[in-house]
Amino acid sequence: MELIIETEALTKRYGKKTVVNELDMKVPQGSVYGFLGPNGAGKSTTLKMLLGLIHPAQGRIRIFKQTLNPKNRLEILKNAGSLIESPSYYGHLTGRENLEIVCTLKGAPKEEIDQALALVRMENQQHKKAGHYSLGMKQRLGLAAALLGRPRLLLLDEPTNGLDPAGIQEIRDLIVSLPKKTGITVLISSHLLSEIDQMATHVGIIDQGQLIFQDSLRALHAHSRCRLHIRTTDNAAARTCLAQKGIAAAEKNGQIILEDASDSSVTRAIRLLVYAGVGILRAEAPQVSLEDIFLRLTGKKVSL
Amino acid sequence: MIRQLRAEQIKARRRRVWAVTAALGLLLCLWGAFNYRHADVSDLAQGYSGLFYQLPLFNTILLPLGLAVIASRLCDWEIKGNTLKLLCTLQKKERLYDCKLLMGFKHLFLIACMETTGILAAGARFHFTEKLKIRLLALHFMTLLAAGAFVYLLQQTLSLLWENQLAPLVVGLIGSFAGLFSLYFPKEISRLVPWSYFCQFTPILMDWNRETRQQRFYPTEFPTALFLGFLAATVGVYIIGKLLFVRKED
Repeated sequence: MELIIETEALTKRYGKKTVVNELDMKVPQGSVYGFLGPNGAGKSTTLKMLLGLIHPAQGRIRIFKQTLNPKNRLEILKNAGSLIESPSYYGHLTGRENLEIVCTLKGAPKEEIDQALALVRMENQQHKKAGHYSLGMKQRLGLAAALLGRPRLLLLDEPTNGLDPAGIQEIRDLIVSLPKKTGITVLISSHLLSEIDQMATHVGIIDQGQLIFQDSLRALHAHSRCRLHIRTTDNAAARTCLAQKGIAAAEKNGQIILEDASDSSVTRAIRLLVYAGVGILRAEAPQVSLEDIFLRLTGKKVSL
Repeated sequence: MIRQLRAEQIKARRRRVWAVTAALGLLLCLWGAFNYRHADVSDLAQGYSGLFYQLPLFNTILLPLGLAVIASRLCDWEIKGNTLKLLCTLQKKERLYDCKLLMGFKHLFLIACMETTGILAAGARFHFTEKLKIRLLALHFMTLLAAGAFVYLLQQTLSLLWENQLAPLVVGLIGSFAGLFSLYFPKEISRLVPWSYFCQFTPILMDWNRETRQQRFYPTEFPTALFLGFLAATVGVYIIGKLLFVRKED
């Protein structure tokens, strides 16, 4: 698996407060990497360090297999587009003129402006002043600017913040389509788990500056391994019976909770209980949601 | 650098910075010419000297605020549009600072050109009998640029560092008053006020006779050492301003 971004022990401190703590991030090529965490977890700070906007206290950043330093920063970032926090725009200029500035600075051909505008579906609003745009249109303009120069990497910091539901869906669809259309790798931060769940192929969860989970979204879902909840006529007898046979079980809210909910384990446990004369009233395996996993990992309630 | 300057030109569209520059230049010329409406033979005999004495005073009053307005208009779009964090992924911060400085200096240069042309035009329009000394004209042009560059550097740095764009304008306004009133103080004090330097290098002094109510303008030696020291201070302000801007984390 080729990595587009790789950080080693990346740390940022403001005074005595450590905002990002020894972060080892690995973003595979062609992925949509969801960088998830509660507000104030250190997501924006990490993205700003990746772009060289703020300097790490320690650690190393490798982008496109090159170690980022002040000398090669702009050369490396030539292949990256970014949208950090609120959109950047010149309100007195039209959308097209805004893109002209980025195009000029990137040294990209002017024809790319039309392509970027088409990609974010803003052809009809390109001659309106950016100051008159809605927040959604400003975000799309920011995204178009990030796409100029045909970058291989896109860093997006909470791009759906402040958008209405239709705008959110539009931006999400656009982001999901980018790797397929252009082969671009997307690193997107969000505090919305559902958003990452809909877009990402890989996930990194940051909390209080520390990366507490990092893997594919599939692996995160695998964490939602379900447990079997059994309601019986005699919980005490059921627990004794299961314990005698070495099956891990606990009692919670008047139910027996079976830790291992694999088919073989369930068959064995049910058979044992029936033979022991314990009446089974109900057996269910509620799916553990991603929210529960997030809560378990961060100890914080997640925004939905 | 060319690409970055071109980007600055695009940014300046519809901001009418030229209008501020033109208005400033015009106002300075008109103010200078106003005094010669009813000029007598004695006034015309020292017409150019009078202008070389008065214009630095007008510059001290108008340019600190005027340059603050120009600097603010050339920088505030970055603050308002939250664009610095985008620009810093596309260009070096040092370059951005330099490009903005060049844009501002272009306007300062234009003001200096307008004022110099105004002096020549006033001489022709009012038929000054005094012979124009090219050396004094060149000195006036050069010292206006030098003092303006210092003030502009200060204003640009403040405009880029401060979120609230009213604050640099207030500094410019205070500068106008401080520059003018510091001239009533001994030189040791007035030289500590950067806005007073529009007047500090004036090649002409005035002698006012209370009894005859006549003013006599006479040349004075150009303070070369002070001028060189001031240029060194300007370079110092440039280095510090740029460093502060570069170190500011977005």
